Amino acid sequence: MNDIYILGIETSCDETSAAVVRNGREILSHIISSQVRTHQKYGGVVPEIASREHSLHFEPVVQTALKEAKLGFDELDGIAVTYGPGLVGSLLVGVAGAKAMAYAARVPLLGINHLEGHVYANFLEAKLKFPLLALLVSGGHTNLILFQGHGDFKVLGRTRDDAAGEALDKVARALGLGYPGGPQIQQAAAGGNPRAFEFPRAMLEPQSLDFSFSGMKSAVLNTLNSARMKGVTLEISELAASFQQAVVDVLVRKTLMALAQMPVKTVVLAGGVAANALLRQTLKEELDKREVRLVYPKPLLCTDNGAMIAAAGYYRYLRQDFAPWTLNAVPGLSLA
Amino acid sequence: MKYLTLDTTTKVTALALAEDGHLVAEGFLHTSKTHSERLIPMLDQLVHAAAWELTDLELIGVVRGPGSFTGIRIGIATAQGLAQVLEIPLIGILSLEALAWAGYGRAAEVIPILDARKNEWYTARYRWRADKAQPECLTEPRAANPMAWLNELKGLGGPFLFAGDAAGKAQSLIQEILGVKASVLPEYESLPRGAYAAQAVWHKWQEQGKGEKIEPFYIRLSEAEVNLRKKERLGGDRKDDQV
Ligand SMILES: [Zn+2]
Repeated sequence: MNDIYILGIETSCDETSAAVVRNGREILSHIISSQVRTHQKYGGVVPEIASREHSLHFEPVVQTALKEAKLGFDELDGIAVTYGPGLVGSLLVGVAGAKAMAYAARVPLLGINHLEGHVYANFLEAKLKFPLLALLVSGGHTNLILFQGHGDFKVLGRTRDDAAGEALDKVARALGLGYPGGPQIQQAAAGGNPRAFEFPRAMLEPQSLDFSFSGMKSAVLNTLNSARMKGVTLEISELAASFQQAVVDVLVRKTLMALAQMPVKTVVLAGGVAANALLRQTLKEELDKREVRLVYPKPLLCTDNGAMIAAAGYYRYLRQDFAPWTLNAVPGLSLA
Repeated sequence: MKYLTLDTTTKVTALALAEDGHLVAEGFLHTSKTHSERLIPMLDQLVHAAAWELTDLELIGVVRGPGSFTGIRIGIATAQGLAQVLEIPLIGILSLEALAWAGYGRAAEVIPILDARKNEWYTARYRWRADKAQPECLTEPRAANPMAWLNELKGLGGPFLFAGDAAGKAQSLIQEILGVKASVLPEYESLPRGAYAAQAVWHKWQEQGKGEKIEPFYIRLSEAEVNLRKKERLGGDRKDDQV
């Protein structure tokens, strides 16, 4: 079979990224232009500013990705782009640009769900066998997803309030740790006693695979407030460590609950929070006991990136599941 | 030289195929669908109808603002995507400048007004001079309060010819303040058209002789930036008070 080259484009939030991937596995080039610094002074991603940044960086990012892959547009087999979920203005920059490129280059356009893309980051790391259970944890999402084949997925559980990453961001801000919260909390938690504070772990109804992080987040904020009123100073490292432990406990417990319900032998982690060391380690220990394999992407592939979109695009290309030229951004796009 | 122009800065998707300044095919859609949905299918139809190949194109002109922020970015990303693959140059023009061509050769000053929301217009003043085949910009593009802008014009003499997507609705206000000094183009001439952009792009290309890097022209900062600047200014004032 001929080699298949897919250009992947991702602009759904605050990273402008493009990558060329061969056969869904091999990353030939990978450019990520992050706006994190731009948004830091606002304490979070500002949609209009994100869109403006994408507009400035989109063209050079794509150009560099092709140059580093030493490929011309005429050598591509398809162009994959995130069309949702995400910020509509940001998504539209990538979607408009990708459509124009695919149309002019006469190659298929592949519309990719951002969440699906995160999970496919794992296919860049390892050879995987279905069925797979994916734990997708990011600033915008917390999902347990069952993958029975390429393009065949079912969401088993989702967050009912804050996403795990969102809760981490909010607590980090309250602790004065800055944005993005995940890495900041992880750093602050180092050396802190994770049992210093007992924050509630919401498990919801007995059989539910859904998540809830807002109660846990509020408990941290209340602890902070009442200490402040009493004039007591709390150890940031202990608060961070205890909160991180509570988040990880819930994520791990729900994953194990899902596993108990189905004959799955591989779990994959995806999304920004998948880079969290405690989550990886705890889940690994538990899965080892059950002889279930854990796969997770390297930290760079846990963030929003074009390579995962190209990887997802490759499998869509094989299925000839091409997007029409009318493809639009769908900010609230869900997984089936 | 064959070229394409794209204008998605208002609710109209306006395309043109032209050759050496002569219009060959024009696309105009003012429907409820989005630019994102309409743009490539429309381009494809236009190229086919003109019996051109996309690879015949040697230049792309894009309207880079002012107008809808999202529309501006869709137009630019599309133009850049096409130009990157076809390896052809880009030319950027302003929406207001393109609209000045709606008043080609008139003695009146042309005043394009585009709906900028928040009770403002994007606007500027243009003049056609007998010795020049293109409009001359008299005041820099800006976002202006309609009443303040019309009163400013009142003090300038005129006559004025209004064009743009805000012109229809503003007709009675314009007449009320400027009276016989003002006239308003009918909607079919007043909305952005591929024909206008095709003229503006061709003139700029002849002047420049080369392509350029395209950046959006928003006029306005984002709201978050405005608020941050306000906050910084307040912080600064407080410091000054303490001194
Ligand atoms: Zn993401």
